[in-house]
Amino acid sequence: MALKPLDIFKLLPKTNCKECGFPTCLAFAMQIAMGKEDIKKCPHVSEETKAKLLQEAAPPMKVISIGKDNEKINLGGETVMFRHEKTFYNSPAIGCIISDSMSDEEIDNSIKNTIDMNYDRVGVTLKSNIIGIKDDGKGKFIDIVKKTSQTAKGLILMSQNPSILNQAIPLCKDVNPILFYADTVNYQEMGSIAKQFSVPIVVKGKSIDELVDISKKIAEMGVENIILYPEGSINQVYKNLILIRRAAILGKIKELGYPVLTIPTFMTDDYLKETMYAGNFIAKYGGIILLSKLTGEALFPLFLERLNIFTDPQKPMATPEGIYEIGKPDSKSPVFVTTNFSLTYFIVSGEIENSKTGAYLLIQDAEGLSVLTAWAADKFNAETIATLVKKSKIEEKTSNKTLILPGMVAQIMGELEEELPGWKIVLGPREAAHIPVFLKDLSST
Amino acid sequence: MSIQIPEPGYTGKIKEITIGVGSKAVTVGGQSAFNFHTFEGQIPHQSLIAYEIPDTIPDDWMDICKKPYQDVLNDPIGWAKKCVEEYSAKILVISLISIDPIGMNRPASDVAKMVEKLIKEVDVPLLFWGCDNPEKDTETLRLIAEVCDGKNIGIGPVVDKNYKQIGAAAIAYKHVILASSPVDVNLGKQLNILLLELGVPENKIIMDPTTGGLGYGIEYTYSVMERDRIAGLLQQDDKLAFPMICYVGREIWKTKEVSLSSSEFPKMGNQEERGILMEALTANILVSAGADILVMRHPKAVQLMNEMLEELK
Amino acid sequence: MLLIGENINIMNKTLKSAMKDKVKEPIQKFAIESQKNGVDYLDMNIGPARKDGVELIKWLIETIREVSNLPLSIDTTNIDAIKAGLEVEGENAIINSIQATEEKMNILLPLMKQYKCKCIALLIGKEGMPRDVNERGALAAEFSSKIDEMGIPHQKVLFDPIVLPAPYQQDQVVATLEFMKMFKEMFPDFGSTCGLSNVSNGAPEKLRPLINRTYFMMLAKYGMEGAILDAFDKEIIDMAKGEKETIKNLIWKATEEDIKLDDLSEEEKNYVKTVNILKGKSLYSHSWLKL
Repeated sequence: MALKPLDIFKLLPKTNCKECGFPTCLAFAMQIAMGKEDIKKCPHVSEETKAKLLQEAAPPMKVISIGKDNEKINLGGETVMFRHEKTFYNSPAIGCIISDSMSDEEIDNSIKNTIDMNYDRVGVTLKSNIIGIKDDGKGKFIDIVKKTSQTAKGLILMSQNPSILNQAIPLCKDVNPILFYADTVNYQEMGSIAKQFSVPIVVKGKSIDELVDISKKIAEMGVENIILYPEGSINQVYKNLILIRRAAILGKIKELGYPVLTIPTFMTDDYLKETMYAGNFIAKYGGIILLSKLTGEALFPLFLERLNIFTDPQKPMATPEGIYEIGKPDSKSPVFVTTNFSLTYFIVSGEIENSKTGAYLLIQDAEGLSVLTAWAADKFNAETIATLVKKSKIEEKTSNKTLILPGMVAQIMGELEEELPGWKIVLGPREAAHIPVFLKDLSST
Repeated sequence: MSIQIPEPGYTGKIKEITIGVGSKAVTVGGQSAFNFHTFEGQIPHQSLIAYEIPDTIPDDWMDICKKPYQDVLNDPIGWAKKCVEEYSAKILVISLISIDPIGMNRPASDVAKMVEKLIKEVDVPLLFWGCDNPEKDTETLRLIAEVCDGKNIGIGPVVDKNYKQIGAAAIAYKHVILASSPVDVNLGKQLNILLLELGVPENKIIMDPTTGGLGYGIEYTYSVMERDRIAGLLQQDDKLAFPMICYVGREIWKTKEVSLSSSEFPKMGNQEERGILMEALTANILVSAGADILVMRHPKAVQLMNEMLEELK
Repeated sequence: MLLIGENINIMNKTLKSAMKDKVKEPIQKFAIESQKNGVDYLDMNIGPARKDGVELIKWLIETIREVSNLPLSIDTTNIDAIKAGLEVEGENAIINSIQATEEKMNILLPLMKQYKCKCIALLIGKEGMPRDVNERGALAAEFSSKIDEMGIPHQKVLFDPIVLPAPYQQDQVVATLEFMKMFKEMFPDFGSTCGLSNVSNGAPEKLRPLINRTYFMMLAKYGMEGAILDAFDKEIIDMAKGEKETIKNLIWKATEEDIKLDDLSEEEKNYVKTVNILKGKSLYSHSWLKL
């Protein structure tokens, strides 16, 4: 495992000179221990110490940035095998392959889909991040590179033709395009192109041994950014992804400490099956996932899975505070109130929706905690709710003035009635699943 | 291999649980490595998919899910037979939605009568799943346990509020307990301890970690299951070394995201395939996390998932 | 060991209404009882006290001062109330607490300097609860740089590495122990304390003292110098003062190595089993003593 901060601290000069950008050597040592800073930033440690630290404290998996501007993302950089051990940091880039044997219309559609197929979910935009451009020798490769580089998304240049690559890379250099691929046969030639343009390169292999071997050779050529591509059936690839992650994280085998490329569409012709493979690679341990095409029915579920798996277990997703209109509420609709823990929001809004009754849902910022936890931490109480009811001006939307409180916090009903004169406070069900029945009863009384 | 990749250091084994009797009985568990990790341990039994069969017309099911079962919607026995005969189901879950006190509130004895007929006509293993009302579930499942004496069925959800009553019935009639805890390793462990203390044999417990669907808390279920499995396989925690069941279909098909129509929301793609994929994808990653039985709804999602299980074995 | 009694707390129902209606007697009873059991400080937790913080803290100090001479720790997020408390108690008081965020440090450290009082430095940063030992260290390093910048003596700062409940966050219970192992070496002249009782939050009520005591001794093994704790648990106070040497030694031994249970008494077994939970050897369940 990574070096302990104390061990790092002992190697630092302890002069607190601040030249590293941190106020003290101690603070700097902590940052190195977390893998967030590099020992190179300290001008006062000996080369020998630096080398020693770099060896021992290097992050186990390389981070590679692709894309530019708003589309820039990081690949790799993971530090654990299981998300509960800390968190997964950089969610896999998902995208489709555009080949030059496709018609111009198909090509334009794929580019359009890559840009358009995005979805908003609790303040996060779920979107595609990468395009694989495949050279089928039809002479349109460079054209496609020109068009796709406008998207600012990451690109994988899937061509084995050096002259085409030499032409293509300068056209899209600013998105840090990835060369595809180097294998046992061509690694020297491809590696030197990657080196020349200092762009990342995919290393392809059928076995772990092959990947280690080529990755080592490419690194020795001076190429820093490598992406591993284990080829094979779903069964082989699933297994190899696990072994690669283990080798990197637990074994500190630096030849395998890189993000991994997966191409489900090369593994099956069945689109649904391809999506299932992609689902496997999101959880177990793909860094890039290339599909045959982007369709809503497959992409949306995959994006959701990616969002969920890459949510930091210690920091639940939060919904922005405010009024949400569920169904088609009017001036006679009741108001539900709950906390901004995303899961709470989704479940409560979903059940109100299922009831086919319009209602307002008032979401209170309780630092992303669930109702009971927020109440226990005094972040969801009569005072905070009353403040929000007034601040949100929900009264302007409904004259009904019925506020439905989560059943879990029955104890604050009295207080809330005091805080909100003129409102009818009703205790809702303890379980969201009972909301439809509850609303039916409410409207009949 | 030229490099040494560290091994996880498995020390434990998941308990083997058999459900049903005779030639159609099925067994789950018994693995000595994480699911799908056939390259480093024994996975003697593939995970299974249990078709979900409502015990009355499922009014809240979406049309997409009702369509394949159109001819048997109001006939749980016919539905069960259809799943076995047409879809080759190896195990079934009878979902007792009719007993819910805040719904139809059908008397337990009525349901027991239906079950009596059912077990005469269907020979695959059966699981019975209550309505999440601990009192009504207790009453109903106790009767069903008695009616199914000798059939080695599974009954649940058994929770901390009713484990004694249902546990006693399961012990008396030698059935399997589906022990349900709210997405929490510690509470899951606690319930197993209580059941074992009560005298439930080790080979009669399957854990239900409580399933959250895609977009609705799947990450919590996923991580709790990984932790359960790590405890059982790597940390000598034999109180967590039990097979796990995930109630997938219900959680997926009630979400807003599967109900959005293709015409109104073109960016969401084909509605039917979206729902099928959401169900199958959820099932898929839950098997990775440790699921041994998946309760599913749509035949096409089941088929996809079965193919995955076959390809990854 | 610096022991801060946690019992004067607005979360307690009786005290809550006493504070609301300004009835002195229940509060004075708690203060007297805490002092009698041997704590060194009394914590005054008045919650967020958004509206009446200033008035409440003044009244509370006055009330306690009629029956106790113990120094006080001021436990609220209301800045004006903290100021009002410091105005009366000055350098004898502790500010409980200051989070390791720019915002909180910028407001509260100047106050601390002005009144020459102590503070509890809570290792919670702008991203919320620390997730592991390194994040705790990084926050402590940030805090200590800020302290140096302000010219505040290290001895005035008590770091609180955040104690989380074993029934819900066992990993964090272990992470706090890990942090304490390196704390003294990295922050040699700073003090330490912790909100101890949180470790047993969610455990069966009658077993909570066992968890609290065990964890306190485990932390103490690695240099923890005090705690905010239940002043009504006389045994934990006795233990902190070195009166239960054999149990303490057993806990220390079990913390370092795995101990066979066979030859132990029932009480000793319970302590060892609890150590095994708190050091992360076995997964928590409410029935951990029965296994």
